[in-house]
Amino acid sequence: MVYLKCSNVVSKISEIIDGQASLMTRMRFHGHLMMCNNCRRYFEQYKIVKELAGKVTADDLPEDFDHVMEFVMNKIENKDA
Amino acid sequence: MHGNDRHQRQETGQVEALKAGESSAWKDILARHGPALLAYAARMLGDRGTAEEIVQDSLVNIYHTIGRFDGRCSIKSWLYRAVHNSAIDEIRRRRRYVDVGTDVLDNYFNEAGRWEHDCPGWDGPVPKRLDEKRLLTSVREQMDHLPHAHREVLLLKEVEGLDTEEICAALAISPGNLRIRIHRARAALRAAVVGG
Repeated sequence: MVYLKCSNVVSKISEIIDGQASLMTRMRFHGHLMMCNNCRRYFEQYKIVKELAGKVTADDLPEDFDHVMEFVMNKIENKDA
Repeated sequence: MHGNDRHQRQETGQVEALKAGESSAWKDILARHGPALLAYAARMLGDRGTAEEIVQDSLVNIYHTIGRFDGRCSIKSWLYRAVHNSAIDEIRRRRRYVDVGTDVLDNYFNEAGRWEHDCPGWDGPVPKRLDEKRLLTSVREQMDHLPHAHREVLLLKEVEGLDTEEICAALAISPGNLRIRIHRARAALRAAVVGG
């Protein structure tokens, strides 16, 4: 099996997380992680931050789209924009 | 009928209604995508008031130009593309566009491709001394300060939940380019949150 360097491992993380990596790449990747503390640590941090980025949504959705909606619909319904 | 076919037919019908100027179709599409478009613009611009103006003007402009929509992308992507382009124009006009600097990944490795120094930041699957709520606050804050090219792909993928095809259409980039940009953006966010 071809050995992956640490820089190669880090460059593959996104593909791995998104399920886009081939089986061979996944095997090499996880094989490397078992032996390399730095890459393992980086992978865990990257994964946690990525997961949290996906949680930024809900409480940030604007509540007051209504008046934007009203403005746009007035323009559309009056056809005067 | 497959789900995709049904969705395609619904979308075609909806576009025809939009092109015909049916206000119920416009109301429906604005209610469905408007709040997320506003959230996206607000996070890109860092200014809620300007974001509202940008989204209003973009949506009115879309109403006037919907005749040009050719169905090569989804209506959702078309909306994001319009809002995105207006937001970027406004950011550049105000000279607030933050360019991507050196790739953070360039600094980690020596010529042999090994770590130059130990990977900074917490060790293990659960960050020590950082509970998830505090970490989430940090992720949110750091995301709002990332260079715009990083911020836009993260917002569209991780926050807005657009799929690859939708993001590529919205940003007019290829899937290969998106893959690289997503990785660099996540790496930049990780570095900002972890501090190295």
